[in-house]
Amino acid sequence: MSGAASYLMRRAAQKERVRILYRRALKDTLTWAVHRHLFYPDADALRERFDANKNVEDIETIDRMIADGESQYNKWRHPDPYIVPWAPGGSKFTRNPEPPSGIEIVYDYGREDH
Amino acid sequence: MASALRAAILGHVRVPVVVANGSKLLAPLWTHRTTAVRSMSSHDDHLEKNQVIDRILDIVKSFPKVDPSKVTPEVHFQKDLGLDSLDNVEIIMAIEEEFKLEIPDKEADKIDSCALAIEYVYNHPMAS
Repeated sequence: MSGAASYLMRRAAQKERVRILYRRALKDTLTWAVHRHLFYPDADALRERFDANKNVEDIETIDRMIADGESQYNKWRHPDPYIVPWAPGGSKFTRNPEPPSGIEIVYDYGREDH
Repeated sequence: MASALRAAILGHVRVPVVVANGSKLLAPLWTHRTTAVRSMSSHDDHLEKNQVIDRILDIVKSFPKVDPSKVTPEVHFQKDLGLDSLDNVEIIMAIEEEFKLEIPDKEADKIDSCALAIEYVYNHPMAS
């Protein structure tokens, strides 16, 4: 029982690792692609590499393959990845934030009455 | 010579910049905005729930492996649409691009249905 349970837990952990690896690799592919139309074939090739090992059953082999994939991902990781502007590391991060509520900007600089 | 020519031309030519950039195109997009709009602010967008639902359903429907007639706001990507986990990752990435979001990996991994995606995007302060 505990053997089966631990097997299932290990499989679930492996599936999560694969999903996250695929997600990171796909984002990285988009960062490497200079144009959007160059990204699509690259993404298809990436997907094919993942799908090629879809039916591997042996848990140790899967572990080795994931480790191999992660090391390849780390090797080819983009040095300057695209980051959404507002996110930490993005070009707009903490720039010109919203003023706190209660602060009002007067645009006509005290000349309202004239 | 050149500067005199330039001054002469500039003295006569008037380019109607403001008229050309009229609000006809932008008007439908801007009508839903609330009063506290600061145009230079890093974020001043506010999404309504039905906008979020429409845009997410559009994304899911245009995914190549999905049958568009099956897509509803409550649909589960893997159980109802017959996708696998990697397709799920692709859909979440498309949603991130559509709404200009950056979802952390662990959270993106948890989103597996339209309902969860709509909830997440609608409650995200930076969705636009």
